Amino acid sequence: MDKVIPPKELIEKWKREDEEAREIRRRMANWDFINKQPPRIRAALLYFIERGDRYVAAQIAGLTVDEFNEIRIKANIPVVV
Amino acid sequence: MIGVIDTCFLIDWSRFRRREILEKLFNVLLIHEEVLRQIRSESAIGYVSELFTKGVLRLYPWSNMDEKEFIILRSQVSSNSRIPSLERPDLLCLIIAYNSDAVLLSENVGIHRVVQYHPRYSHVEVWIALDVIEQSVYKGLIKVDSEEDFLSIVKEYELDTHHSFRKNKVRSAIERVREWLMR
Repeated sequence: MDKVIPPKELIEKWKREDEEAREIRRRMANWDFINKQPPRIRAALLYFIERGDRYVAAQIAGLTVDEFNEIRIKANIPVVV
Repeated sequence: MIGVIDTCFLIDWSRFRRREILEKLFNVLLIHEEVLRQIRSESAIGYVSELFTKGVLRLYPWSNMDEKEFIILRSQVSSNSRIPSLERPDLLCLIIAYNSDAVLLSENVGIHRVVQYHPRYSHVEVWIALDVIEQSVYKGLIKVDSEEDFLSIVKEYELDTHHSFRKNKVRSAIERVREWLMR
């Protein structure tokens, strides 16, 4: 099956959006809280800060999306949408 | 109006102090059982149970045809580095919305990107919570007398769910609400 490829302009626009969102998450995150977490949770929070993907972050943490979301809120990392 | 609700939207919306507006805006909300399995928190479980009891939330009867469509869509959109990983439940919701002619309630960046370029799914309406709040204003489910009123409700959502809506999206919504208020 053929891939459906997005146009270049959209990819550029998305790149800018990703950078902006990442910056907001980094700025607002409670780094003290994050650094005190067990390795798996810390890795998941760091991944979320970089990529903003709750589903994969939850998989890294070994939690459901719902459970990961509670930790995200405690870590003061916003969902940028 | 029919809506399809994804995991993250449901989890977030269940924390919103004005969450009851969703069931007034939509006659039916469809959910896939795999989405339902992701729900664990007390607030989300309570909310889901409430919506099922009221008959607003219904399980979507997933078919073999839907499954075939999922396999095609997955192969078409996977491996694009600028599309955040689209997991099975995300794509299932998009397929349900397409096949049910429904609005998809999702804040998944990947899904929002797929509908921006995929020819088959580009007409699917995907709303974020900001859109739900805006539409609720137009339907009279939330009373606002000014732009500030609207903005304060948006802020309530951001606070309750720990969200940050992009400034350009909020600005556009405020402009539309301002025009609507002047009518």
